[in-house]
Amino acid sequence: MATGGTVQVDVAELGAKLESIVGPGRVSTSRAVCRAYSYSAFWGRTWLTVPDLVVVAATAEEVSQVLRVANEAGVPATPKGPVGQGGFGGPMKGGILLDLTPMDEITVDRKNMKVIAGAGGSFFRLAQELFKHRLMLPTSEYGPGPTVASSAIFPVNAFGKTRYGRNIDLVEGFEVVLPDGQIVRVGSMAYADSDFGPYYRYITGPDLVGLFTQSNGAFGIVTKVAYSCLRLPKCWAFHAYYWPLAQAETFAAVMTEATAMEIFDIHISDRWRFVGLEKAGLIPPLPNDCNFVAYLTVNAESPAELAAKEDVIHEMCRSRGGTYLPGAADHFYAEWPTVFAVVSQPMLVKLFNLTREASGATGMMICDSLNYPTSWFPQVYDKLMKTARKYGLWGEPNMIVYDGFPMKSLTICSQTWLFIDFYDRDWMRRVEAYRAEFREWFGARGGTHQSGVPPYPEYSWGNQPGAHDLLRRIKGLLDPNDILSPGTFEKRDWSR
Amino acid sequence: MNGRQLDEFKRQVDICLVCAACFAHGPVTPHNWTELPPPEWDAPNDRCPSYEYYGLRSHTGMGRQMLAASVFREGYPVDQDLIDVVSSCTNCGVCSEVCPMWRPLDAIAALRQEFVQRGLQPRATQKLDANVAECHNLFRGRTREPVLEALPRRGADLYFAGCEAAFRQGATGRATVEILRAAGIEVAHMGGDEWCCGFVADWGGNASLSEEVARHNVQAAVAAGTERLITSCAECYAVWKTHYPSVVGELPFEVVHVSEVLAGLLDEGALSFDHEIARTVTYHDPCFLGRHGGVYDEPRRVLAAIPGLKVREMRRYGRWSYCCGSGGKLTQLTYPDFADATGAARVHEAEAVAGAVVTACPACVMQLRRTAKKQRSALEVFDLPLMVAEAMGIEVGSRITPGEDSAGGSDE
Repeated sequence: MATGGTVQVDVAELGAKLESIVGPGRVSTSRAVCRAYSYSAFWGRTWLTVPDLVVVAATAEEVSQVLRVANEAGVPATPKGPVGQGGFGGPMKGGILLDLTPMDEITVDRKNMKVIAGAGGSFFRLAQELFKHRLMLPTSEYGPGPTVASSAIFPVNAFGKTRYGRNIDLVEGFEVVLPDGQIVRVGSMAYADSDFGPYYRYITGPDLVGLFTQSNGAFGIVTKVAYSCLRLPKCWAFHAYYWPLAQAETFAAVMTEATAMEIFDIHISDRWRFVGLEKAGLIPPLPNDCNFVAYLTVNAESPAELAAKEDVIHEMCRSRGGTYLPGAADHFYAEWPTVFAVVSQPMLVKLFNLTREASGATGMMICDSLNYPTSWFPQVYDKLMKTARKYGLWGEPNMIVYDGFPMKSLTICSQTWLFIDFYDRDWMRRVEAYRAEFREWFGARGGTHQSGVPPYPEYSWGNQPGAHDLLRRIKGLLDPNDILSPGTFEKRDWSR
Repeated sequence: MNGRQLDEFKRQVDICLVCAACFAHGPVTPHNWTELPPPEWDAPNDRCPSYEYYGLRSHTGMGRQMLAASVFREGYPVDQDLIDVVSSCTNCGVCSEVCPMWRPLDAIAALRQEFVQRGLQPRATQKLDANVAECHNLFRGRTREPVLEALPRRGADLYFAGCEAAFRQGATGRATVEILRAAGIEVAHMGGDEWCCGFVADWGGNASLSEEVARHNVQAAVAAGTERLITSCAECYAVWKTHYPSVVGELPFEVVHVSEVLAGLLDEGALSFDHEIARTVTYHDPCFLGRHGGVYDEPRRVLAAIPGLKVREMRRYGRWSYCCGSGGKLTQLTYPDFADATGAARVHEAEAVAGAVVTACPACVMQLRRTAKKQRSALEVFDLPLMVAEAMGIEVGSRITPGEDSAGGSDE
């Protein structure tokens, strides 16, 4: 059977060899099993990446041995978590899909506020364990799956990104298996076995942790992740304000100011996120002039400090034309399940079912996932709106939704998403046309793609040619046989 | 799903969000910044039996949902490989409990119907379906539990005993009749007009057979003057409660599990237990009574009313209860190693907190008894009506009525 389209190997023979490493039942060459592992969410059929074998590894040593065999055979090996929601991953050139789910141990060092988590652990479980120690990391919604390593080798956003940045900004070290099978520890993990423990990211010399972040596993398979944790504040408050469409500039200025003030989290969206809920009577009617909604999360060590912070954000929003939207923010956090459990949230389930009935949509699709300066929000939103309107995706019945995440870097990463039927050709054609037109405008201004590696669409390559050339050169040195996540740093035609 | 529903489902099935909540080792929701989830949202790590056994994401609600989209919308070929991945699911429903948005179990059920339509049904379930089609019960039984035969054929309260209580676990049938009688409820039984509820046919994917028995049973129950239909079997309950209305429309009578009747009588003060049972027991929620039927509290209220009885919960209980591995016989018959491993996990979990386990489903009783024996465990297994009978001083004997055929597996 062909793997990677270039290498001929006997998959059964390879499977037997791998099974001798990881144990019986931990390797599957079943077509159905491989197929079930092959999807990434949201992007539909174009993001189907099918492995030839699935290998479930439980230790770094097993990963090491698997990579040695893969090197010998010239077979690609790619790690993949469930990728939940906006993520993308998988073996672009076939071969071995490494499922690291059993590697889920968590070691919390409360005294030093550090944690080491196994690659295959659930980020939700990590967040819960830290919570029990009154610690926290920015925690992504939507991620119950085995996502610790995924959230480090892909660009992941989480609640807390406005003050602290992305998850990867709090990563301090990795244990990594290099393509040749060598197990190395970089960043704070380099000290893991010392008396001091994994205490500091920047070992002597350049930052090697950064080499593996957002790498899609192309430089090495991350098997452990070390984080520096944050203290969990005692008091929390959630508020929502809205602004009219005509006040996009003011809205952007408020986000910039709030980010600079280190508000814990801001999540922005437009009215189309709420219209379905409103029509179903699940939330009170939206004011007619409500277009941009900001969810603001603040925290503090005492009620008095919290009240003072709340006063500041109320003043900031009101003085700049914001109108309070009662009940909109706290609802998702105060009730169980919280907004973290997106597929269980009764309100979201109702919304999905209503949309399915009303429009014939069957799945949820992110059309684009973008990074740009916060100050560019008005122009980006305007362009998105006009382009989506041109292709009949704006407003009812399709209701493309804008969702944005102002980050510490004073940039926004945002998505537009809608419920859709991936198999409806007309629908998909319109979405593709919308995406292509918007991307041309966005890419020409230096825009970058934020969700998923490789950096689809291709304007990301065009904007950073020197940087990507360097990545490819490093890749060639570390992985001369190109077995790890091959295709990550290549331009690729995803239009099939 | 009936034919029309299946066609609609096939048209709409799609890949999910791939969040892995249906099987992942971790909470469905971690915290809300100030507190940890309450018990109803504190899902255990090990929740999906087939993932726990096979260790592959393909063998989960998420993986099977993707396969359903592949088959129904992309024409992916159905072969034995795919059938094994899909069919090795116990139907426990935990995936749909976590994810009411995509309800992965619906995709699994739809695929099973597809297998049957293509003539690719597993042999073991083919045999059971043949038994139902020809003899109207799972075991080709001819002689019902005598207590049932002695009941009137018509009455407002109809006891739908099911194949197990009628042909194999007669003690459950006798206990149910006698405890209801002692509580002042005289039940009727349809005799030969009680056909297998069609659970195996329904969940095994044989839609035409399950619809046929649904129509027959509803018609017969109406003819018997039923105002309230009482089951002692979780599978019968779930099928009557949810599947039959999808076939024939709203039923003209109420459907209740015997635990609901007993809990209601206790609430009204119309029932009390005067025989002490000095035991520590735990309660195993049958998947088809709990997650599929929504009945969690009533059996516990009944047990709590028994003097002397101490009830301790297992680690996984209520909506997060773990499957016993039977899969309403389907798993037990088609993937016995998987069923055994799942049953063993549940037996060990029960014996960690109690010397006996009570459940409310004859299929669970059989599976747990068999597994306890294989595991050389001293765990005792009781069906709820038997425990209640003992608490009421009613002697029904613990004899398991011998079956006339071993199809469906033997008990002790």
